[in-house]
Amino acid sequence: MSEENKNGLEKKLQSVIETVDVANALTEPMTVSIENLLKISANAMNSEEASVIVREGDEGDLRFLSAIGKVAERLKNLRIPAGKGIAGFVFSSGQPMAITDVGEEDTFYAEVDKQTGYSTQTILATPLRYNGEVIGVLEYVNRIGEPPYEPFTPKEMDKASLYAEAIAALVNAYEIAKIFKDLGDKMLSGEDNSDFVVVREWLSKLRDSSEHREMMDLAVLVREISNRGEGERAMCREILEAVLRYSKDNSETSYLSF
Amino acid sequence: MTTVSGYETNQILTGSTYFQIEDDWKERTGKGVSVAIIDSGIDTSHPDLQGKIRESVEAKKDDKRVLFEASETGDSAGHGTACAGIISRIAPEAELYSIKVLGAGGLGDGHAFLAGLEYAIKNRYRLVNLSLGTTKPHFFAPLHDLLDRAYQAGCIVVAAANNLPQPSFPSVFSSSLISVSKSADTDPFHFSFKYGEVIELCAPGVNVRTAWLGGGYKSLTGNSFACPHIVGIIALLLEANPTLTPFQVKSALYAIAKENQESEK
Repeated sequence: MSEENKNGLEKKLQSVIETVDVANALTEPMTVSIENLLKISANAMNSEEASVIVREGDEGDLRFLSAIGKVAERLKNLRIPAGKGIAGFVFSSGQPMAITDVGEEDTFYAEVDKQTGYSTQTILATPLRYNGEVIGVLEYVNRIGEPPYEPFTPKEMDKASLYAEAIAALVNAYEIAKIFKDLGDKMLSGEDNSDFVVVREWLSKLRDSSEHREMMDLAVLVREISNRGEGERAMCREILEAVLRYSKDNSETSYLSF
Repeated sequence: MTTVSGYETNQILTGSTYFQIEDDWKERTGKGVSVAIIDSGIDTSHPDLQGKIRESVEAKKDDKRVLFEASETGDSAGHGTACAGIISRIAPEAELYSIKVLGAGGLGDGHAFLAGLEYAIKNRYRLVNLSLGTTKPHFFAPLHDLLDRAYQAGCIVVAAANNLPQPSFPSVFSSSLISVSKSADTDPFHFSFKYGEVIELCAPGVNVRTAWLGGGYKSLTGNSFACPHIVGIIALLLEANPTLTPFQVKSALYAIAKENQESEK
């Protein structure tokens, strides 16, 4: 892209951002849809409370993105440290599970339970997956009506994984929208708005894991070399194939450091 | 007595795969069988588990690799304790080794889980309970490599299936490990085998009452609770037949499951 076009695009982007309520226009449809789906699915699951928990950063921390039920407002944006509690386990293991007789020590509803007198007794938690990656956890808590509550059944577990699939697609769309919302906020706030390189750098720091970013960088590099001509393409292929042969010879990989 | 004869029409199978399992394996306790539990850690003070956990280690980040150190942090989620509880109920004298890879500081990705598996193989634990999995495609090849190494080292890896639309690794690797999914049965000895399906073994995994954090018990549902049932069963089989190879163990499970299923008819 030429410098002139870049500046043109930058100006257009800025004017679009300035005329639209970016904060709400991008993410709100997603959060509303997630909440609606949560309500419909909770009803079908005969469950009283439901929540969508998403990752926060690259270290496995989680936060409640959406929740319905009596304690919904208190849960929203509550954080869960990596690997803690049922949600933490389901997120990092990718394994769905259901528990009855849930005690205070087990859940991050515990604090809220204490404050509200609400009692978490039975939970079904299933991972939210998108493109093979766990991006969050879907939880259903307790049943509609009075305790004691029936445990969640294997059939309901299967049903929940179908809802999880639909919700995961929305969560992914939400996360992408949030990147652009944050970018818009940043540009409007006056930071970096004259420097596309800075914005691009900042964007590259977002969401994706460092490994994923490294892979994308490599792909971009290969594309750039490929665009330079046939000779470059052939050379690039030869070099890459040599690397592949080398790494096959060293395929006894190790993750341990003793 | 259970006779394991492989597939009799297959000429490739010779006498070496032909063996018999005496029925007294069910009376065993898993004595002398080392079992690694790669999970969220184990609450060693739980009344059901006291004195049964030989060692607890935990993953630590060490630059781009993973280091295992003695763990003082117990169980961060309850899941590892639950699995240990199930195994020790079936095989009370099995030697349990906790390899904590979930909830260990700053390790949110699959590397810790792979490192945990590698640690178990290097330590030559006879049995590995793996109630975890990953659907990330870039772990496919390294996991396959590790599972083959486990198989060659005689280390029997038992993995929980993932009842989700996407296949998860390693439970879909059928050759080098044993994969388990849940059934509503309650008798651990009454497991079944669905030959030809991706996940072949079915064991109790619905409302299983087992040990949990704080010395208590919970009723749990999930494939990850079916997995330790089979681990417990294999521990008994291995005590009675210490020289069984992973392939022979799988064949024995198949033959026993077939008897279970036939006795139902």
